[in-house]
Amino acid sequence: MKLPHPGSLVAFVIVALVAGGFIALATVSGEGPTSLSIGPYLRRVLAFSIIQAALSTLLSLSLGAALALALARRRFPGRDLVLALLGTTMVIPTIVAVFAVFAVYGRSGWFTQALSFLGWTDSFSIFGYPGILIAHVFLNAPFVARILLDSLSLVPAEQWRLASALDFKPSHIFRHLDWPVLSAELPGLAGLVFLLCFKSFAIVLALGGGPSRSTLEVAIYEALKIDLDFGRAAWLSLIQLAICLTLTGLLNWTLTRPPTAHTIRGLIKRPDARNGSLRILDAVVLAAGSLFIAPLALSMLSGLAYISDIVDADLLRAFMTSVTIAIIAATIACISALALASSARRWRVALRSPRIAAFYDFLPNTLLAVPPFALTAGLFLIVRRFTDPSAAGLILLPLVNGLAALPFVYRSLAPRLLTAEERYGRVAASLGIAGMNKLAIMDWPLIKRPFGAAFALAMALSFGDFGIIALFGGQELVTLPYLLFERLGAYRLDEASAIGLLIVIVAFLLAHASGRLSHAGD
Amino acid sequence: MLVIENCRLTWPDFSADYSMRVDKGDLCAVIGPSGGGKTTLLHMIAGFETPESGTLTFEGQNLLPLEPAKRPVAIVFQDHNLFPHLTAAQNVALGLRPSLRLTDEERVLIDDMLDAVGLKGFDTRKPGEMSGGQRQRVALARALVSGRPLILLDEPFSSLDPGLRRDMIQLVGELRRKRPVTILMTIHTPEDVADLADQMVFVADGKVVASDVPSAILGGPLGAKIAAAVSNT
Repeated sequence: MKLPHPGSLVAFVIVALVAGGFIALATVSGEGPTSLSIGPYLRRVLAFSIIQAALSTLLSLSLGAALALALARRRFPGRDLVLALLGTTMVIPTIVAVFAVFAVYGRSGWFTQALSFLGWTDSFSIFGYPGILIAHVFLNAPFVARILLDSLSLVPAEQWRLASALDFKPSHIFRHLDWPVLSAELPGLAGLVFLLCFKSFAIVLALGGGPSRSTLEVAIYEALKIDLDFGRAAWLSLIQLAICLTLTGLLNWTLTRPPTAHTIRGLIKRPDARNGSLRILDAVVLAAGSLFIAPLALSMLSGLAYISDIVDADLLRAFMTSVTIAIIAATIACISALALASSARRWRVALRSPRIAAFYDFLPNTLLAVPPFALTAGLFLIVRRFTDPSAAGLILLPLVNGLAALPFVYRSLAPRLLTAEERYGRVAASLGIAGMNKLAIMDWPLIKRPFGAAFALAMALSFGDFGIIALFGGQELVTLPYLLFERLGAYRLDEASAIGLLIVIVAFLLAHASGRLSHAGD
Repeated sequence: MLVIENCRLTWPDFSADYSMRVDKGDLCAVIGPSGGGKTTLLHMIAGFETPESGTLTFEGQNLLPLEPAKRPVAIVFQDHNLFPHLTAAQNVALGLRPSLRLTDEERVLIDDMLDAVGLKGFDTRKPGEMSGGQRQRVALARALVSGRPLILLDEPFSSLDPGLRRDMIQLVGELRRKRPVTILMTIHTPEDVADLADQMVFVADGKVVASDVPSAILGGPLGAKIAAAVSNT
């Protein structure tokens, strides 16, 4: 009997895990969904999820686009460093961003103290919209700016020379050169940022400040952890899934262009850089952006002084747990992505069935839409029949983290496999190079660096993740982000700052390694 | 003998219907305008395109049910023939053993073949360290070392400058004398192979329009049309 292709096996396992998890969750309560009575509650949660996500998206995109245009027009010392830092906020774990908001805008934060120094004594509460929006914009606006700047830099030099020759005014430049780029990118970015904020968990849990300000994700968590109402969790999860699937479907449609990472810096001299009013505008935008981003970013460094105080057996154990989970999660994500991508390629090229190939391409993206808590809870209900519930966390944490990283890993590996096929597929076919031999001879040399890059990125995502560990965290299973959450809850901000710094350093090192690998040799 | 009879292929914007014969041991030059179906013809013989109807046999063996690697065919493309991370010798070795696990005799054979294409001492070079002409010599060596009796050259020298191109065509001629193989070769510049080829076929609009000895094709009524078609590409 011929063995099934590894890719179809992986696809089957993923579909079975997600479907099995949902069925287990939906059937456990036995007495139908208690959810029918939750109409007003559901409406409130939904409204809050959507409004905060829409506001976060609007603010992130506005600030991001303004920063991108200002940075595109200006050259100043340290600009390269700013650009490099913009790209890194993506990997700041949300729980560390929560810490940063506390440290700057909290009761004893820098901002609050500065206000009281100026005589402003009204108490300013970060809980609710202010804290959530600050954290979301802090994480997303720099990322939006970086992507837009990369796209703006792809405008061919010839067009800029043409603009100079035709004596374009700044408004013409915006209309004919900048806007076409921005308008092509913004819908996709808006969808992505909205999705990330809609699904936000750690930030809303810590900064929401009460049950009236929950996103669906937090509501699912509360149903599971606090009320133990699996039926309600299943019901909420299905709503979450439906909304996120719609969004990812739209995203899949708009985000067809692979993200570019290279920036040609300083090659083009924009004619609008000399315009006086644009100078003032850009200075204001850059100053406002720095005043918002810099304190939050710098607050993460404040932990440096307390690093030596936190090193103990608990911390080391949490560190090792996080590293182990990250390695297993990255392995799951990378191997699955490779198997799925090679299946997709096989269907697209050898078997000429683009529709089935599209299914393999779409499957990882659907994982963006699956609420991790619902998946975890459902799988927990299954796993607990076979193993000690306390061991379930150790199995499920890497698995769910790996599945969460899969879409990103897939996106970087699949195009490389297709490139290998385009260049060498026919040579390999005529020489009889197939199966694992094809992977070793034809594919691996072309994908080993992106594979390494994706592995490091998956590790970074998993290492800093504060998601389903909130369900399992406790005496027996503690990761670094969980430790940080505990310290934040106890208002031990000094220790929290040191743990946060540690997480950020590891995540940055991994992301840096990932960036180096993905750019080297191109 | 290679026999192609009424092999039909259709795409939404292009269709082809090939019929032609090539005698065993001959060198057949395939000429014609760009987009006329020269490459498709070679890809069909190699097994990358499957005709909906018709027959394709070589020495009486039906090729159509066979996978590309199972056909008695070796192919050299215009570009990307070599894997960039493998040495010249390893790239040639793929023609013998895709697993690259070689016996000592096979190593000697590969060395001899690199020698035969004028690349003695290049065995440890990687494609990035060789010129375009040298890379195509490696690909040619691989096609020959595989011992397959039918060799397809798909615009193999089009990206080389004219002097080098004629050198490479001379090389093909010499190699033929050492080893009896049947060769089909698409080419943009028919005059380069006029002396060397036994047969020339003109392919346009997905059909073999004419097939004869080169002098008859180039000097015949089609000559002017061919000159026009070729100079346009």
